[in-house]
Amino acid sequence: MSEGDVTKPLDTGRNIPPVAISETSTLVNPTGSWKYIMPRYEDRVAPCNAGCPVGIDIEGYMYLIGQGRLQEAADLLVRENPMPAVTGRVCHHPCENSCNRASLDEAVAIHSVERRLGDMILAAPPPPAPERTRIETVAVIGSGPAGLSCAYFLARLGYGVTVFEAATEAGGMLRLGIPEYRLPRAILDRQIDRIQAAGIDLRTSTRVGTDVPWTDLDEFDAVFVAPGAHLGKDSRIEGAEGVSAIRPGLEFLKDVNAGERPDLGEHVIVVGGGNTAMDCARSALRLGADVTVLYRRTPREMPAIPQEVREAKQEGVQFEFLAAPIRVEMEDGDFTAITCQRMELGEPDESGRRRPVPIEGDVFTAQADTVLTAIGEDCDLSFLPDEIGTKWGLVEVDALGESTSAPVFAGGDVVDLPRSVADALGGGKRAAIGIDHFLREKAGEDVGEVPLNDLRYGGGNVSALRYAEDEDPIPREAPVNETVTWDQMNPNHFHTAPRHEDHFHDAIDLRSAFGETNFGLSQKEAIEEAERCLNCGVCNRCELCLIFCPDMAISRRDDGGFEIDMRYCKGCGLCAAECPRGAVTMTREGI
Amino acid sequence: MKKVMIGNHAVSWGVLRSRVEVISAYPITPQTQIVEALSDMVADGSLPAQYIKVESEHSAMAACIGGSIAGTRTFTATSAQGLALMHEMLHWAAGGRLPVVMANVNRAMAPGWTIWTDQNDSLSQRDTGWIQLYCETNQEVFDTTIQAFKLAETVNLPVMLVLDAFFLSHTSEPVDVTEQEDVDLFLPQREATFKMDTSDPHAFGALVRPDAYTEMRWQQQESMREARDVFRQMEDEWEAITGRRHGAVEAYRTEDADLLLVTSGTITSTARTVVDERRADGEKVGLIKVKMFRPFPTDELRGLLAGVDRVAVLDRNISPGHGGIFAEETRSALYDVPPEDRPTLFGYVLGLGGRDVTPSVINDIIDNTRSKDQPEREDLWVGVEL
Repeated sequence: MSEGDVTKPLDTGRNIPPVAISETSTLVNPTGSWKYIMPRYEDRVAPCNAGCPVGIDIEGYMYLIGQGRLQEAADLLVRENPMPAVTGRVCHHPCENSCNRASLDEAVAIHSVERRLGDMILAAPPPPAPERTRIETVAVIGSGPAGLSCAYFLARLGYGVTVFEAATEAGGMLRLGIPEYRLPRAILDRQIDRIQAAGIDLRTSTRVGTDVPWTDLDEFDAVFVAPGAHLGKDSRIEGAEGVSAIRPGLEFLKDVNAGERPDLGEHVIVVGGGNTAMDCARSALRLGADVTVLYRRTPREMPAIPQEVREAKQEGVQFEFLAAPIRVEMEDGDFTAITCQRMELGEPDESGRRRPVPIEGDVFTAQADTVLTAIGEDCDLSFLPDEIGTKWGLVEVDALGESTSAPVFAGGDVVDLPRSVADALGGGKRAAIGIDHFLREKAGEDVGEVPLNDLRYGGGNVSALRYAEDEDPIPREAPVNETVTWDQMNPNHFHTAPRHEDHFHDAIDLRSAFGETNFGLSQKEAIEEAERCLNCGVCNRCELCLIFCPDMAISRRDDGGFEIDMRYCKGCGLCAAECPRGAVTMTREGI
Repeated sequence: MKKVMIGNHAVSWGVLRSRVEVISAYPITPQTQIVEALSDMVADGSLPAQYIKVESEHSAMAACIGGSIAGTRTFTATSAQGLALMHEMLHWAAGGRLPVVMANVNRAMAPGWTIWTDQNDSLSQRDTGWIQLYCETNQEVFDTTIQAFKLAETVNLPVMLVLDAFFLSHTSEPVDVTEQEDVDLFLPQREATFKMDTSDPHAFGALVRPDAYTEMRWQQQESMREARDVFRQMEDEWEAITGRRHGAVEAYRTEDADLLLVTSGTITSTARTVVDERRADGEKVGLIKVKMFRPFPTDELRGLLAGVDRVAVLDRNISPGHGGIFAEETRSALYDVPPEDRPTLFGYVLGLGGRDVTPSVINDIIDNTRSKDQPEREDLWVGVEL
C-alpha cells in the first residue's frame, strides 16, 4: 500500500480489492523464529511389544497387515517367534492385557491374528535353512518351547545345533502336557518340522544323563539346558501313598496325549487351579467322567488362563472353591472318597495372593473314583554336574540365560516361575543371544557388552532383529525405546469397533472328542482385527499432523513420512497434541 | 419427489441438494437434527463432504471460514447462545466476503433458560454483515437453503436462513424435494472469485489502514444493495425450474386494504387465516410478509405500505429500550413517504420465548389498531398491556 498519510483515502484511481489479502506472500515471515520448543517425530514402543515375553514386534506386524503386506507381516512375526501357530493357540497372551485399546473399547485380539498368520506360514513351504557361518556347535537339552526357540535362533545366527530329546517325539510340554483339543498334533508337528528345517539336528529318545552322558557334551562349544519340569509335586494327602486312584495330573495328561484312553471311573476330582488342572479336568471330561475341580482359594486367585476356565465351565466341569483334600477314605482296601478341608482366605503370601487358611472343624467328604493332582511341578536336575548352581529347585541364570558355569546356559521351566510357553520361548531367544555373545568373545571378537536394554522392546523381551542389526521392514522415525502409555496418546481421533472373538466348537459335542475347540478367526476377520490396532507410539502415516499444522509447515516426504519446515514451524505443539499415537514429541533440543 | 419432513430436515435436504463440500457444526437444540441428518449423509457417502467436528460454535464458524477461503461450499447451523458465541466469527465471514451459509433456528436467548422460539438471537446479529432470510414453511426452508448458496456466492456475502424453533424445526410438513439434476442446473459448483493458494500463501484478513478500510466497507454495502436485485433474478430462475416463488416481501390480499399486518416467520401463516376470515366478513385487511431482513427491502415495503391507512407490525422480538425491531425498521422505511400517504404504524411485541400467537391474538391486534387514531407508544406488549 501507499506510503504517506494513511488517514486520507487512497488515490481514487487505485483499485481496492474487496477482501483484505496481504500484498506480499506470507513466506516472508519466517514464523519459525518464534519457537522455544519444537516438534520431533519419535517413534516409541507399543505396550503389546513390551508386554510380550517372547519379544515380538506385534505392533509392527499389525502395521504391515494394515498395509496389506501379509507376507512381510508373517516374516516379521517368525523373525521373533519360532512357533506362532502354537502361541496363537496356547499362549496366555499378556500382550492383550497391556493393549492400550482396552482403554478405548476392547483389547485387540492379538492371539487370533497371530494364530491366523501362524497358520498361513505353516501352509507355505519352509524357507531354505540359514547359512552356517560359525564353526561352533551348541547342544540343546530338551525340545520344548525353550529348547526349540534357542535352537532356532542359534541356527539363524549361523551355529550348528543338536537338540537332545528324552521322549520319542519333540515338543516337550507342548506335546506331553497340552491336550490336543487346545493344540492339534498336526499343527505342532508341522511347526516343529519347520523349526527343524532351519538345519537343526534333532535326536529324540535320547536322554542326557542316561542315553548320553553329560561328559559327552564336551564336544559342543556351549550347552543350553531346557529339560522342563516334569515331577508332580507331592499332594500331601494323608493315606495317598500307594493308592493308584490318586495320581499326578501331568502323568495322566502324558498318557492321554500319547493316545491312551485310561478308565477313570465315574467321578473324577482334580486338585489345583492352574492350567494343568484345567487340562486334566477337560481331558477327564472327554473320557466320560463327571469332573469337579477342587481349588483351595477363590476364582480370583486361579493361575489358569481365564479363557481355559471359561471353556471348562462351559463344558460342564464343576468347581469347588476354598477346599483342599486332606485324607483318603478307603473301604475294604478300595479307595472310595476323599475328605476335604474348608478354607478361608487369610493374609497375602509372598505371591501377593491371599493365603488359604483352614476353617477349624469344617470338613466334608467327596466321593471319587480318581483324584488327579495338579498343584505344580518340580524339575529333575539330578543329571546336572554340581558346578551348575541351583536355587529353590531352579537353575540360576543371568539375564541372558548364562548359568554359574559357562558355557552352560539354561532356560524354560527350569529357570522360570511362573511358567509359560511364551516365557520359555523368550528365554530360549535370550540364551541364543547370550551363547552367541559368549562364543564370539571366546573366539577373540571385540564384542563388548550385549546392549540388553536397547535390545528389549521398551523393557520387555529382547528382539532378535535388533540383535542381528537387520533392517526393520517398518521405517522408524528416530525410535525411542520407551513404552507409550494411553495418557500419552490422543484418543479423540479413534473410532470404537468391537473386538472379533474366536469361533468356538459347539459345546455339546465336546465330551466325546479331542478335536480342536477353538477355530480362531477367518482370514478376513483377522485382517479386520489387525486393523483395530492403534499402532501405539508409531507413526502410521495417518497425516493428522499435516492436517492440523496451522503454519502448513509439515509436508510429506517421498518415502511417505513427514518433514517439518522449521523456518515456519512456530512450535505451537498442535501436531504433538493431535497425534493419536504419541509419535510426536515436543523438545527444547536443537533450538 | 414429495416427502413429509420436519423443518430441520428440510434444511438438511437443501444442503444435500446443494452439494455442500464442508460442514462444521456444534450441536444445540433445536438445531441439532439438521446436522445429525447431515452427518448421517456424510457417513453413508450420499453427501461427499468433509464434516468437521468442533468444540464450540465459534470454532464451527471458524472452520467454515477456512473451508470457504479454500474455495469450497460450506455450511453450518446453530441457534441462540450458539449464534451469540459465533458473533466475532460472523464479522470475519462477512468482512472476508465469504459465501458461508448458515441455518439459524430461532430460539429465545437465555436467561431465563429456554429452548422455545423468538427472533432475538438472529436479530442481535443484524450489523454483522450477513444477509438474513426468514422462512414461513418447510417448503420455503428447503427452497431457501438452496437459494442461499446461489445468493451468497453471487454477491460474496454470507447468508443466514432463519426458521422458527419447533413451529418449523420440529413440525412435519410435505416438502417437494427438487431433483438433483434440477438443482444442479440452478446451482453449479462454486467458483470462488478469490481463494487461498497454498503454493503462494497470503494472509487473509490482513491489516487494512485507514486509507482503504472505508472503501472496503463501502464495497460490502454495495454488495448488500446488489443482493436485492440478485435475489429477485434468482427467484425468477428458481420459479422457472420449480414453479415456486416466495419473495423478499410478499403481499397477501393487500388490494384496497385500509389496514395491513406486517409479519415474519410462522406468525405469517396464522395471520393469513385471520386475514381470510376478516376478508370473508368484508373487512379490508391484508398482510405483508417480510422474508428478507438484511438487506432490508425498503423500496418494496414503501411501495406496498404508502397510502394505506394503518399498519400493524407484529414483532416476535424486542430491542430493549426501543421497540419491536421489524416495526422500527418499517417505521424508518416509511419516513420518506409524503405525510399524506404515510400510514399510522402500530407496533406489537408478542410471542416471546415461544408463547403461542393464536388467531384470537391477531384479531385483538386488528381490533386495537382500528380502535385508536394513534398508537399510545411505539410498542405495545401483547399479553401484558393488551
